[in-house]
Amino acid sequence: MEKSLSRTILLQPFWRSTRNRFFPPGAFPLRTAAALLFGLVICLALYLVGVRVVGYFHRQSELGIILSLKIFQMAWITVFAMLVFSCMVSAVSTLFLSQDNEIIFSAPVPADRLFFMRYITTTIYTSWMMVAFSLPIFAAYGRVFDAGPLYWPLMFLAVTATAAIATGFGTTATVLLVNLFPARRTKDIILYLSLCFGIFIYLMFRLIRPEDLVNPDKYSQFLDYLAAISNPAAPYVPAAWAANLLSLYLLDRQVDWLLVGLLATTPLVFFFAGEWAMQRWFFSGYSKSQESFGGYRQFHGPTRYRPSAWRWIFRKEAKTFLRDSAEWSQLFMIGALIVVYLYNFKVLPLDRSPIREEYIANLIAFLNIGLTGFVVASLAARFVYPSIGGEGGAFYLVQAAPLSMGRYLLYKYIFYVLPFTALSVLLLAASNHLLKIEGPMWWISLASGLLLTWTLVAMALGFGAIHADFKAENRAAALGGIGAILFLFTAIAFELVIILLAGRPAYRLVTANLHGQTLQTGDLIGLAAWIGGSLATATAFSLIILKKGIMKLEEVA
Amino acid sequence: MSLINSGKNMRQPTGEQPAGEKEQTAAGRTAIQIEHLTKRFGDFKAVDDVSLTIKTGEIFGFLGPNGAGKTTTIKMLAGLLKPDHGRILLNGVDLAADPLACKQITGYIPDRPYLYEKLTGIEFLQFIASLYQLAPATFSANADHLLQLFGLADWRRHLIESYSHGMRQKLIMASVLMLEQPLIVVDEPMIGLDPKSARLVKELFRSRARQGVTIFLSTHSLEIAEELCDRIAIIVNGRIRTVGDLAALRKEARLEHSDLEEIFLELTGAYEVQEVVAALRK
Repeated sequence: MEKSLSRTILLQPFWRSTRNRFFPPGAFPLRTAAALLFGLVICLALYLVGVRVVGYFHRQSELGIILSLKIFQMAWITVFAMLVFSCMVSAVSTLFLSQDNEIIFSAPVPADRLFFMRYITTTIYTSWMMVAFSLPIFAAYGRVFDAGPLYWPLMFLAVTATAAIATGFGTTATVLLVNLFPARRTKDIILYLSLCFGIFIYLMFRLIRPEDLVNPDKYSQFLDYLAAISNPAAPYVPAAWAANLLSLYLLDRQVDWLLVGLLATTPLVFFFAGEWAMQRWFFSGYSKSQESFGGYRQFHGPTRYRPSAWRWIFRKEAKTFLRDSAEWSQLFMIGALIVVYLYNFKVLPLDRSPIREEYIANLIAFLNIGLTGFVVASLAARFVYPSIGGEGGAFYLVQAAPLSMGRYLLYKYIFYVLPFTALSVLLLAASNHLLKIEGPMWWISLASGLLLTWTLVAMALGFGAIHADFKAENRAAALGGIGAILFLFTAIAFELVIILLAGRPAYRLVTANLHGQTLQTGDLIGLAAWIGGSLATATAFSLIILKKGIMKLEEVA
Repeated sequence: MSLINSGKNMRQPTGEQPAGEKEQTAAGRTAIQIEHLTKRFGDFKAVDDVSLTIKTGEIFGFLGPNGAGKTTTIKMLAGLLKPDHGRILLNGVDLAADPLACKQITGYIPDRPYLYEKLTGIEFLQFIASLYQLAPATFSANADHLLQLFGLADWRRHLIESYSHGMRQKLIMASVLMLEQPLIVVDEPMIGLDPKSARLVKELFRSRARQGVTIFLSTHSLEIAEELCDRIAIIVNGRIRTVGDLAALRKEARLEHSDLEEIFLELTGAYEVQEVVAALRK
């Protein structure tokens, strides 16, 4: 009986609901086609930006080539680490807390079949973004290094294998950890997962030692340095296999077949290990997951009631976040992200740059606006976008209350915009400090960064309202929907517009300041046009999307 | 009595009103006026030209087979769903024109107890009270009393995720009754409740109706409809089949001495079921 059940049968609800969502029967999938086209344009833009940046490094001395490859390796490893963590957090929800577990596990379905379905869906939910956005960047490397024909299949193998290994490892580790750790309830396990992730990141950076690699003086001869660079970084980390395989091919047109073999077989090893672990330990973990996080614990808060809707919406959001370990534990991930982010600025060898240090520092500070915006967009996609759909069935309480949807969204916006503002100010101010930025660029980066942040949070909320899925299994599932894809694409397009608008006036302001010149009338007009244009674009983006969100919520049943 | 005033009057923490007062204050007033209400989902007409008038202080039952359009009508009444045609007046105010004023006087109890899992029971009540701007004095007078009444007092500081289905349903009931709304819209009030709680809810509804609260409830339980409702409407395939008190329904079904179950089966055209039941009995 058990063996006759096909592996794919449990995937049918997922495939069919995905098909119905993206390709509704009896109608041309206009929205899907538009999203696809929009995505292709964004990928093309990322590719072109990638070609320019990597090309810039490539045209410098040999050190530039090496540094670009080192950044390539670090990007792989960081992305891999993030994938493992987000997969572990998602896996707790998808494996143990999914609502359909009640139906599936009460049926004669063996746990390994359940694992297959959860493994595939978790892989898709957690890694589509990484695959979609990393392929253009890695393709840019291929173009700049003028890679041979084998680079493209190798790149495809490396990206998919890395995603499959990260999710295979993440899901298997989650099944194991849920049973090994002394967490009384499955939901608390995420705290331990977060700690593991912190240790993981720390070990990874100790293994790569990026601070040594950007410091050739540490090596007695340049050749030693080159040897250190070309040595496989972190040979036990699968992402490094992918990075090393591609770096070697980019530099020497050689294929390391051992790495190809490792990349092809490791996902299978993790998958079968996961199936085995699932058969052995799923039931006890699932049983524990049905206990409440609070259990019989009592929660004491302010007993005095004050009739204030905004105060209680704030409180409800905060309590929901802080009492859900799947949510607040991601603060660890954000903490690790900030450390890694700022650390990169700390170790930048600006003093050895062939260009004047102030110029390159100002250029990096300018590009950092976009990077901060990207971090804000990713976090907004994770926390702000699902916050409307995350209300679930309880959303009727807000709909039935005498509170307008506009006001409700405004309260939500204020709740989320405050921490996001603090985060972007921290990232921008700290990186400017590390880059020793003073003068106009400091203010340009702060003002543009804040404008980006405030608009991106509004956009995430608006898209979240337009595409709210109140029946989503969990918040991770919301990220796989068309709304999240559209939000990310729109966010990146908006960032590109703001950065492009700022380019010329920022350049004129900074050079005038560095040379002690006064600004010409034309520059002042350009500056005013930039400020006006950016504000108008940001306001238009925010208001249009929020307005659509309000209308959608008002008509939703 | 204006719409908002009626809400404010209800908010005074008073004791139970004598039954006779209802007639003095509210007799003959229309609380809910539904005119030619229609709702389509694609090609499917879920509610088709429904018109109803419900008086203040009335307990009005809304019956029908599965998929007849009960929940759709109730959701439109609670302002959760936009009708395609027709209009709804609550205490004389058009729901489409001033939805917030209408929501301010309406309490909605859904059939499925979706709540904020990470809040405690008392936090949930505070949240709901703040959405409706309930006065602190009314909150203090009602929240503890209702939690006690529904046997939730010991659970008030526990997370809702640890509540059973019935406890959640009772918490929703408590949250709506706490608001002292002059109008209560209930979808399947007794689902998940134990007999003791069901009895309590029935008594609370009766007592509120005596105070002038209008209750519009949909139910599958014919026993509850028979026991509780002043008048009953039967909806079939989105259209009102009949409206009236039990005597009028008996007359309509030409079943003078039958109970509501037989009348319901007759009026909803469930002849096959009657035949199957008869066959099974044999």
